[in-house]
Amino acid sequence: MHKDRDAALVDDCKRGDRRAMSQLVSQYQRPVFNAAYRILGNTEDAADATQTVFLKVFEHIADYDQKFKFFSWVYRIAINESLNQVKKRHKQQPLDDSQVSPWQGPAEDLDSKQICKRVQAALMLLNEDYRTVVVLKHISGCSYLQISEILQLPEKTVKSRLYSARQQMKKTLQNDGSQD
Amino acid sequence: MNEQDQINHPGIDQRVQYLLNGSIDGELNESELDELDGLLAGSDKLRKLSEELVVVTGLLDGLPEIEPPQYLQESIERQVRLPAQDNRVEPKQGFFRHWLPTHWLQTGFALAAGAVLTIGVYEMGSGPITREDATNLVGTVAKSQAADQGELLDNIPIRSNTLNGRVEFRHLEDFLILDVQLSSAGSSEIVVNLAGQGLEFEDIIRKKDHKDIVSVIDSSIKVTSNGDQNYILKLRRTSVTQQAGPLELEFFIDNTLVHEAELSVPRL
Repeated sequence: MHKDRDAALVDDCKRGDRRAMSQLVSQYQRPVFNAAYRILGNTEDAADATQTVFLKVFEHIADYDQKFKFFSWVYRIAINESLNQVKKRHKQQPLDDSQVSPWQGPAEDLDSKQICKRVQAALMLLNEDYRTVVVLKHISGCSYLQISEILQLPEKTVKSRLYSARQQMKKTLQNDGSQD
Repeated sequence: MNEQDQINHPGIDQRVQYLLNGSIDGELNESELDELDGLLAGSDKLRKLSEELVVVTGLLDGLPEIEPPQYLQESIERQVRLPAQDNRVEPKQGFFRHWLPTHWLQTGFALAAGAVLTIGVYEMGSGPITREDATNLVGTVAKSQAADQGELLDNIPIRSNTLNGRVEFRHLEDFLILDVQLSSAGSSEIVVNLAGQGLEFEDIIRKKDHKDIVSVIDSSIKVTSNGDQNYILKLRRTSVTQQAGPLELEFFIDNTLVHEAELSVPRL
């Protein structure tokens, strides 16, 4: 995330430069889409959320305050839009009936796709506050400080939520499937 | 420690949580790492907890990156409007009639072009569009204005094999706006049912030079196009504010209904 380059592109966008807009979309559509996907749990909703995010970003680009990092602003809009869609849906994806648990046996014996599916399902069982910090940490690769800026939360709260979220996921993944 | 934390891990105080979390995320300094090592050496329970946290974070870090759909970038770029798309200063006027006093050349050209456009324009089963309808359509050949977008009320994303894009429903001053951005494989038609909504057709502003046919029959607006539909439909509120229900939209491809949507119309 290059602050100066983003700032230059944003200035160009404010002047109506569509190539600058295209570059920003190209740069951020994948991370925004992936964050939305991990919060929403399916590609269709994530694609819709991503489109809405960029429409909102460029709709309000003239109001963007450059004292904040551009990617923080984009991620904040992305998280809010994804959570809005979650609220509209009011459903969570349940774990499927497969008996596979990532805690069973050596990891290499398990189908990695199945593991990812179960981890995503466990992620979907977290409440939105916990899911958001997990996504920003593990999917978007943000630091505690960056997460606190994006979510406008104290760093202490970010760390606490992350810890609790990981504990809850551990419990979910351990309890799922046949356990000895 | 809050109540939820106590439930998740009784007996683990916040300092230990911070150290365990921090070590996994690489956020501890030397002395904190030493502190944690000392704690782990003295507690099987903490060591087990630490190992389990490592497994969980490993699983989360192992989630693969998902490739966005191929159409996404293009779809976003097509829909995005920037504050000033060219160096031309756009007058902040949204109503064609307000241009008349000062832009008579543009008006005259638009009227002439609008007259040409209406030749050969027909509604299915109801004959040619009347002079009154043609007046409503005048102004559509002129290049679209980079109008203010207004407040977003709703958004209809459409994703199917034959029709893709979105319709945004906005409130702008005295108007309700349907911002249509759709691409289709065949001949597409959108029908907007205004019956009982207290709305009437005001204007259509095309964003690209497409040949499409707009008809207003009774209380329905129908826009037919071969291919993309990219325009703004302006709806004006009438004095009748009673609303029968949501605003209904129907989407047809090659005369087959492929999608329906309803939009809640905000009351005055």
